[in-house]
Amino acid sequence: MHTDARTLPNGTVLEGDLCIVGAGASGITIARELSNTNLKVLLLEGGGFDFDPQMQELYRGEIVGLPYYPLQAAALHYFGGTTNHWAGFCSTFEPIDFEKRDWVPHSGWPITRADLDPFYARAQKVIGLGPYKYAAADWKNGDPDRVPLLADSRLVRTQMWQFRGTRFGTQYRDEIVNSPNVHLYTHANVVEVEANEELTAVRSARIRTFDGKEYSARAGRFVLACHTIQNARLLLASNRQATAGLGNANDLVGRYFMEHFEMPAGELALSKPETTKTKLYELDYMKGTPRGEIELSPEAQREHRILHGTASVEAGNYGDEVKSTFQFIDTTMMNAMRAWQKGGMKGPMPIAAAAAATAPRTKGPQRFYHLTTRQEQAPNPDSRVTLSTEKDALGMPRARLDWRVTELDKRSMRTFYRVLGGEMGRTDTGRVQIKDWLLSDDKTWPSFISGGWHHMGTTRMNADPKQGVVDANCKVHGLANLYIGGAAVYATAGAVNPTLTLVALSLRLADHLKATND
Amino acid sequence: MTLDRRRFLQLTTLGLVATLADSACAPSDNRDSAAAAQPQLITMLGPERVRLLGSHYRAATPSENTADALRAAISSGHGLHIPFVGNKSLDDRIRDDFAAGRTVVVDGWVLAVTEARQAALFSLTPA
Repeated sequence: MHTDARTLPNGTVLEGDLCIVGAGASGITIARELSNTNLKVLLLEGGGFDFDPQMQELYRGEIVGLPYYPLQAAALHYFGGTTNHWAGFCSTFEPIDFEKRDWVPHSGWPITRADLDPFYARAQKVIGLGPYKYAAADWKNGDPDRVPLLADSRLVRTQMWQFRGTRFGTQYRDEIVNSPNVHLYTHANVVEVEANEELTAVRSARIRTFDGKEYSARAGRFVLACHTIQNARLLLASNRQATAGLGNANDLVGRYFMEHFEMPAGELALSKPETTKTKLYELDYMKGTPRGEIELSPEAQREHRILHGTASVEAGNYGDEVKSTFQFIDTTMMNAMRAWQKGGMKGPMPIAAAAAATAPRTKGPQRFYHLTTRQEQAPNPDSRVTLSTEKDALGMPRARLDWRVTELDKRSMRTFYRVLGGEMGRTDTGRVQIKDWLLSDDKTWPSFISGGWHHMGTTRMNADPKQGVVDANCKVHGLANLYIGGAAVYATAGAVNPTLTLVALSLRLADHLKATND
Repeated sequence: MTLDRRRFLQLTTLGLVATLADSACAPSDNRDSAAAAQPQLITMLGPERVRLLGSHYRAATPSENTADALRAAISSGHGLHIPFVGNKSLDDRIRDDFAAGRTVVVDGWVLAVTEARQAALFSLTPA
């Protein structure tokens, strides 16, 4: 079922067993899992079925820390959420990503990779990926040239990626709308979550529309699956009953905001370009062929006490400027990509056309490759989302992002290339050059510091309410019936893009909700 | 003392490499010999870049700013008590340097100490 909330009379009260706030990758996944059950599910989406500048403007926020991408362009506010423009890069967190690492402050999840394995396998299908296999050997595809660089290294490995930019809003719209027990309400922006008088459970969600109508949604259980920044914003803005916001008794909501660094950081010169095989690392985005990135082994991470990162290996011309993700896909490019997608993806993809400008200019064996880092940032309580004094058109305080990084972040990146350079030399595969900006002190970052629009943290998972907002089941500590879906629950960021893991966690949450349905 | 094949090759190429070292002190016409002993890095990065790397290494390491000092540093610890060693052995030593973490960052390049010294020695030869 679907209802445009703007058509409802003012003061309408929606009632259900479960209310999911937000219909992006997480919200849609949970709703689908609960479809055809005996639960009456309310799925509240702030936007409609298409991009709407007025709706998107609600995501505009204040940037007060490190330079960051405009918030209203970094995540999408309509049915399908940010999957409406994601690139579909998928890979799994590794066991070490879930572990408590004594050199990474605030690391450690209350769940393990083994706990997520069955859900990863299911998430593959939700996204439309291939088999749940991420070893390089699994993706040789019968091609003898698709082999890892440094196959014999104890310190360096190849991390595989699969690609599928499934638009959840397109893919699952009919299924959701036709579900007998899931009722989707679009244009239903939740501006406040209300708790009972004891502040032990959520009672309702207040919904507001641009024309001034207000409704409420009541349910036995609630899942906030808006978006990492918006989940925190909504909890913090729900401050009429608890001045610090709901679920924030320990001042943790909004903290530990994390990104993945996506920045050019090195060059590789092959010793024997005539015979070295690099095909496994080629990105053929349109075909979606799985590809590899280079990473350091868990052993190397432990030995050097560094964070988890990978490097893509892209053929290029030595000396060419390589842009960070934020530089390369600026808002103009973002709009061009949106127009290309809306126009049926005819003609060359704008990003591919831009990338062609830096393609190798010489023929013959390729000696030089650009190395671009993708790395987790260390959990940092001072990297946080708070509320701005400015309000949006619905009267809700805007988000204020104070993105901060630590010295460990930069030291890890530099050490990665030192170790990689050592291994490339030891095996005489080639030599690695570390970019100038990475060689300076650990505190200074270049103007092109960049993430990948991967927003994680802000309602982190920890068994201890003093160290995390949600427990291992994604339930908010201290509130009996409030859950969080999405990358907001990440305790650490892992090295890989977040969507596959957030879908796996959403499946796990859906199973929990089904199993605990009284 | 018997010479195995490897040691024999080291000693027989000694004269060749010594020519390069000499050329660093006093330019020689024997360019072919010098070229034969050029660092492997040249193939990868080109002579100009390697020359620059070598200059930067010498600037950052004042104690190794002469051909004699560089030759001594390259041969030190080798156990042969000879001023220089052959290419094969240098390749091995470069690999050993990397394996043992004896690396140095010059202009951002992660190099084995031995090959950085080679580059420095090369930078002392006429362009």
